[in-house]
Amino acid sequence: MLAIIAYLAFMGLRLFIVDHVSPLVFLFSPHFNPDANHPGALVFILGSVFITAFAICVGGPFGVAVGIFLSQLAPERLATIMKPTIEILVGIPSVVYGWLGLTLLVPFIRHLGSQTGFGLLTAGIVLSIMILPTVISLAEDALRAVPHALEEGSMALGATRWQTIWSVMLPAARSGLTVAVILGIARAIGEALAVQMVIGNSPILPEGLLSPTAALTTEIVTDMGSAQEGTILYDSLFSMALLLLLIAMALILAVRGALRRGL
Amino acid sequence: MAIAATAGSLAARERTARRRMVNSTMTAVLWGAALSIIVLLIFFVGYIFYLGVPVISWHFLTSPPSEVAAGGGIGPEIYNSFYILVLTLIFTTPVATAGGIYLQEYARPGPFTSLVQFCAESLSTIPSIVMGLFGMLVFVDLFHWHFSAIGGALTLTILNLPALMRVTQEALQTVPTTYREGSMALGATKWQTIRRVVLPSAIASLTTGIVLIAGRIFGETAALIFTAGTSVSVGRSAYDLGLFHQAETLSVHLWYTHSEALVPDVTKIGNGSALVLLVMVLLFNISARVLGRALTKRLTGK
Repeated sequence: MLAIIAYLAFMGLRLFIVDHVSPLVFLFSPHFNPDANHPGALVFILGSVFITAFAICVGGPFGVAVGIFLSQLAPERLATIMKPTIEILVGIPSVVYGWLGLTLLVPFIRHLGSQTGFGLLTAGIVLSIMILPTVISLAEDALRAVPHALEEGSMALGATRWQTIWSVMLPAARSGLTVAVILGIARAIGEALAVQMVIGNSPILPEGLLSPTAALTTEIVTDMGSAQEGTILYDSLFSMALLLLLIAMALILAVRGALRRGL
Repeated sequence: MAIAATAGSLAARERTARRRMVNSTMTAVLWGAALSIIVLLIFFVGYIFYLGVPVISWHFLTSPPSEVAAGGGIGPEIYNSFYILVLTLIFTTPVATAGGIYLQEYARPGPFTSLVQFCAESLSTIPSIVMGLFGMLVFVDLFHWHFSAIGGALTLTILNLPALMRVTQEALQTVPTTYREGSMALGATKWQTIRRVVLPSAIASLTTGIVLIAGRIFGETAALIFTAGTSVSVGRSAYDLGLFHQAETLSVHLWYTHSEALVPDVTKIGNGSALVLLVMVLLFNISARVLGRALTKRLTGK
């Protein structure tokens, strides 16, 4: 673990130390022009942030809803079908999700008026589906951990099932639900191939939901194969990997914080 | 007075009615969300079968891929997927189960244990593409193995160690403490207890967990592109045990033909590969269940 951090930090910082590229250019310039010594990664950072935010806004509530259903409402028969269903959704390889996005979603979005069908929206939808299993199972666990007495007390006071869920169960499971969402974010921001297959991979700032762009992970996948060791392109791809690593670590710290403070 | 009371109870009744309505609406919404998950999965599976079944033939499943012409198969890719899976499991399982047993049965809470836990948690959130780059740095560049089956397998080992450790820990947690106490009370040592009592009762859920993770290893792609490579024909025959040969797996092949290759029948290959991958995932899931149930029956007599 420490070796991984050290090695990637070493490779990722080369861009700034050996190649003398300003970290400000890397973080805030929208022009990715490694040949001209100007590898601005803002497009990729924003791309990652946008699709992740989209996935959380769509997949988050949906996943929590299914989590509530499984922990509160599901008849036993249905629960025994849902569990393997979710396990299979976890197991489907990301390239297969990408392939589904490519053959199913891209033509559909093209119908909606986008030129190519590739872009933010397509990637966001694919990611929303991919984070569902993570959010569902963690949300279910969080709600199951709420003491029964709370639920029974609320019902005994005459609250309806939904009032109990909304005003008692969800607040009580707050920290667990926060963790579910954070780990959903972690899954979304690190996904590479499914996104790469549908986002369009053009290093330009997106003008709208339908326009093609790129993300940190997809840029690494797209250009690493052709990058020569020691070039600015090669080094900047490692800086992006380092950035992803730091984001992952920050999210884990956030999970720990949420659990400790009972947020 | 009477009028006020009536008005009050009317309002109360209205509130109750509204509460009930909100309740039934939200119940319906939750049911809808849950059922749409099932529908979604059925739809995905159905669609992939619909696309893939016409493509599948003995020729497609067994012949080598083609570089430029149409009509290539996925035989070596399927072989490589299994080969790398087996290698990864050989590396991962002993380390992960040992680590899991240590953390669950021996470790006392303290700075070392929490450091190990923290590392395992962070490892499990590192994006697999980042892990792929790390694998590339170490196995391809530093060790000069070039793209190789073993480099890919070792990368997947690092990637899946935390998950398998977690599975081991959870499997051990399901064993009631009374079993351990009973065994210790009979004079067994700690290791005898673990070996004869704890592990046999945990083996079913452990096996299920390992098989499910095997399914994930089978489908992993991002970590393999830059470690095991995207070719099956460099310096080797299609099927051999060469640890240091390039070994493109099926999932990598699906990505690679779509985004880089020159063959004209990309869609066909993609449809077929997606179907094979999906069927494998289904098989892994089903066998995990069957194995788990059979082992529980055999070992605990339940």
